[in-house]
Amino acid sequence: MTKIEEIIEAFQAADYQETLAMLLDYSENLPKLPEKYIEARDAGLNRVPECETPVFVWIDLNDGLVQIHVDVPEESPTVRGFVGILVDSFNGTTPEEVQSAPQNLVHSLGLDQKLGTRRMFGLSAVYNRIKSGVKEAGGRQQ
Amino acid sequence: MAEYVHPEVLVSAQWVADHINDPNIRIVESDEDILLYEVGHIENALKVDWQTDLQDQLVRDYIDKEKFEQLLSDKGISNDSTVVFYGDKSNWWACYALWVFKLFGHENCLIMNGGRQKWIEEQRPLTKDVPDFPKTDYKVSGTNEAIRAFRDDVVAHVGSDNPLIDVRSPKEYSGELLHMEAYPQEGALRGGHIPGADNVPWATAANEDGTFKSADELRSIYMEGKGLKEGDDIIAYCRIGERSSHTWFVLTYLLGFDDVKNYDGSWTEWGNLVRAPIEK
Repeated sequence: MTKIEEIIEAFQAADYQETLAMLLDYSENLPKLPEKYIEARDAGLNRVPECETPVFVWIDLNDGLVQIHVDVPEESPTVRGFVGILVDSFNGTTPEEVQSAPQNLVHSLGLDQKLGTRRMFGLSAVYNRIKSGVKEAGGRQQ
Repeated sequence: MAEYVHPEVLVSAQWVADHINDPNIRIVESDEDILLYEVGHIENALKVDWQTDLQDQLVRDYIDKEKFEQLLSDKGISNDSTVVFYGDKSNWWACYALWVFKLFGHENCLIMNGGRQKWIEEQRPLTKDVPDFPKTDYKVSGTNEAIRAFRDDVVAHVGSDNPLIDVRSPKEYSGELLHMEAYPQEGALRGGHIPGADNVPWATAANEDGTFKSADELRSIYMEGKGLKEGDDIIAYCRIGERSSHTWFVLTYLLGFDDVKNYDGSWTEWGNLVRAPIEK
């Protein structure tokens, strides 16, 4: 079972309060953006345009393994939590594993059902950007 | 300098800090981000979520009277509680929650001016402790639909001389954008505005720190600027009715208009409605 599959299983078993608690945990443990990207972020580079929240993403491959670096403001804990799940699941895996993750992850995690569909489009946008970013990075590598 | 017509509905962060343990006061946080309350909130504040608590997830409507009674009873809010709302985004969602409480006829509703942003800027403490107030037996005595506009009310408004205020951004109003900038999820099939609507973006009523503009500034925007006058029958709308509840609050309480309705169907309904005329 991949990491993302384990997380999906945990979220599917969780009730509303547990879902919020897990998301908050991911939000609070989201790694800080490394120093070397700060200048680019401040210049507005690598922002996910479809998401209302300013989300910045950098994707690299390190020895063929995925490295995602992100920046999400503290005032947007839902987005931070969701992105935290992606970072936790995908960092250190292969690009193929990222591509095999569910197409509609927000739904697989049950977030649309529990938190309401109106909030979920920005999250899907971030997810799609990360997936396609990993695909591109994998393509560059080959 | 003019005063707000109902200055008593606005309280400061300091006032809230002084009333945290007042048993007649219930503080309610309402945010766009569903997790923000969990990150930390004002001591003794309750969470009311605009979507999961106040909206019916099956019908495009608000919860019914029984569910509202249940919600408030569970939270420990009684009919005579004074409820102070605050939240993120310059109190959009606080105004929205207040408007829904008013739909169900809750008497005493206040807004903490500046919302969550100002509280934090003043370096006031936040807690993760969730208060557990004794349950109440809340009863809705009557609903107040005079503050809510439905599609047919808007149809009747179009072509009349009654003012219609579109509080979206100028690009949404002109039809250049099908959704609010950076909110692609809540679009409509057509871009433009309801015929005859005047554009006054909601944020023109708010200061940088999230507080409301002064009475003089508000009068100059809405009355001198847009010609609203006493006795007008006004409908405000945006995209899903949240930004327009901010304007509804401003027009009703700060400027004292007696007949203001919020059209919560807003552009996501009108922009998609078969045979509804629009202007660009």
